[in-house]
Amino acid sequence: MNLKHEILLIEDERNICNFITTTLRTQDYKVTSAGSAANGLSLAASGCPDLILLDLGLPDMDGIDVIRNIREWSNLPIIVISARTQEKEKVEALDAGADDYITKPFGTSELMARIRTALRRSTLNGTLAAPAGIRYEAKDLVIDYDRHIVTVNGAIVHFTQIEYKILTFLARNAGKVITYDTLITHVWGPFADSNNRILRVNMANIRRKMELNPADPQYIFTEIGIGYRMIDNENM
Amino acid sequence: MSTSIKNCIVTFSGLAVATLVAFLFSHFVPENAGNLSLIYIFALITIVRFTDGYLPGMVASVIAVICVNYLFTYPYFELNFTLSGYPVTFLCMFGVTLLTSTMTANMKEQARTIAEKDKLLSETEKEKMRANLLRAVSHDLRTPLTGIIGASSSYLENSALLPEEEKIAIITHIHEDANWLLNMVENLLAVTRIHDRSSSVRKTDESVEEIVSAAIMRLKKRLPEAAVNVAVPDELLIIPMDAILIEQVLINLLENAIVHSQSREPILCYVDADSTDVTFHVKDYGIGIDPDRLENIFDGNSYIGNKESDSNKGMGIGLSICKTILTAHGGTINAKNHARGAEFYFTLPKEGGTP
Repeated sequence: MNLKHEILLIEDERNICNFITTTLRTQDYKVTSAGSAANGLSLAASGCPDLILLDLGLPDMDGIDVIRNIREWSNLPIIVISARTQEKEKVEALDAGADDYITKPFGTSELMARIRTALRRSTLNGTLAAPAGIRYEAKDLVIDYDRHIVTVNGAIVHFTQIEYKILTFLARNAGKVITYDTLITHVWGPFADSNNRILRVNMANIRRKMELNPADPQYIFTEIGIGYRMIDNENM
Repeated sequence: MSTSIKNCIVTFSGLAVATLVAFLFSHFVPENAGNLSLIYIFALITIVRFTDGYLPGMVASVIAVICVNYLFTYPYFELNFTLSGYPVTFLCMFGVTLLTSTMTANMKEQARTIAEKDKLLSETEKEKMRANLLRAVSHDLRTPLTGIIGASSSYLENSALLPEEEKIAIITHIHEDANWLLNMVENLLAVTRIHDRSSSVRKTDESVEEIVSAAIMRLKKRLPEAAVNVAVPDELLIIPMDAILIEQVLINLLENAIVHSQSREPILCYVDADSTDVTFHVKDYGIGIDPDRLENIFDGNSYIGNKESDSNKGMGIGLSICKTILTAHGGTINAKNHARGAEFYFTLPKEGGTP
């Protein structure tokens, strides 16, 4: 792929804007930047970027509304940039259709990893109707969707139906953070109790079955107050 | 308006009850009429106690005198003020009412002043704490900022003269100071999550192992070379807490252990639980804590004016914030030395706890 990916950066803070632009350019991305939501929306519509980096604290418009606006006409990946303590805002952004978020302040490598994951997912969704027949592989973990088999280090691990459903949903969305509500809706249906205690219990069981040390997980990470993120699929 | 309605109700129901009792009394024990005035005096005192101002007592005493005269003295159901000794009864009842209403009014006034004084006192106490915190904070912020401004200006002014490795050293220094600054700010933000008035936090049920793992992940992001051994109980522990705050406490303790223990041996972070509480431990294998500091190590003030504070990089404020967070959770935090280093541990109640 020699085509440069084009990234639209919507961020009003000039210093942050400069640093991200410089970093992305050195990594061979094409970057356009907008200092306001209005400007960003018009650039998103006219420029057809491959990915949008969106700061939630814009002066002229609520970041959540920007996401909703874009989602009305496009599925292009959106990564939200936000501060650490605003869990509520992050969950709202993810539920409004953002693909991922990154917490300020962040390092270059973290930003790059998020962008790569989001871009890969979007090209995958474009080429394959559903990534059904694909295996999930990461470190010593293999999930064979077709045969319903999960192995760690070659040994088969047995999961209950619910656990398997949670695990495969996270695996199919590997690299992306999944909010508690999204996960509960997927596994227990839309009318399930939004109390996530049952989810925690299942997650604890999953971790005890496949992680060496549940307090230092290798595969499924907790994003406090938001949800879970599974380690990237190496088989993509 | 509502107090005057309440006064009316109390006054008239008091008198009604007294009249009823007196009526029954005179019916069953007709020979001892002197007790009737006593019943009314008792009613008067009660009315004065439970109403505000002088007026209800006065009105009640006039009505009571008329009642005694009209209902219970001969001739019945007729007013007759010429009865011998009657002015004495009248004056006594009036005097008793006046005296008790003055006394209760005084009492109420005193209670109010005392309450006000208490409030004022706790407010100045709070003000003092806030000022201390601000002083500590500005000191802690100024130190890394001085480093950043100094290093960056020396880079800008002398960049032509500096060899490459020195440039990298300067930037590394700036990077470290900025990270420390960030840690500082996150701690302060954490404190703003604690509600000012009630000093309590918004708790949700959280899984202990998830909090521990999230804290360690964030620590490793900041200090990639950090070595930590983690252990949680096999049983899943779900306890109420503000997850972001408890994560902050863990990060502060872990980072302290790494920075101050002066040892490369891995830190041990483990959790245990009894029937009522869950305890988090952070144990390092380093130089331990100076026994003199151990006593008030969580007290942000102890470190103001400490000459070593610059080299200690904000240990004081981080720990005092930990203490604030735990107090708001109804938990406790402690530090001690063990045979080969220092141990910090904090306890959270399993169910609710006192806010």
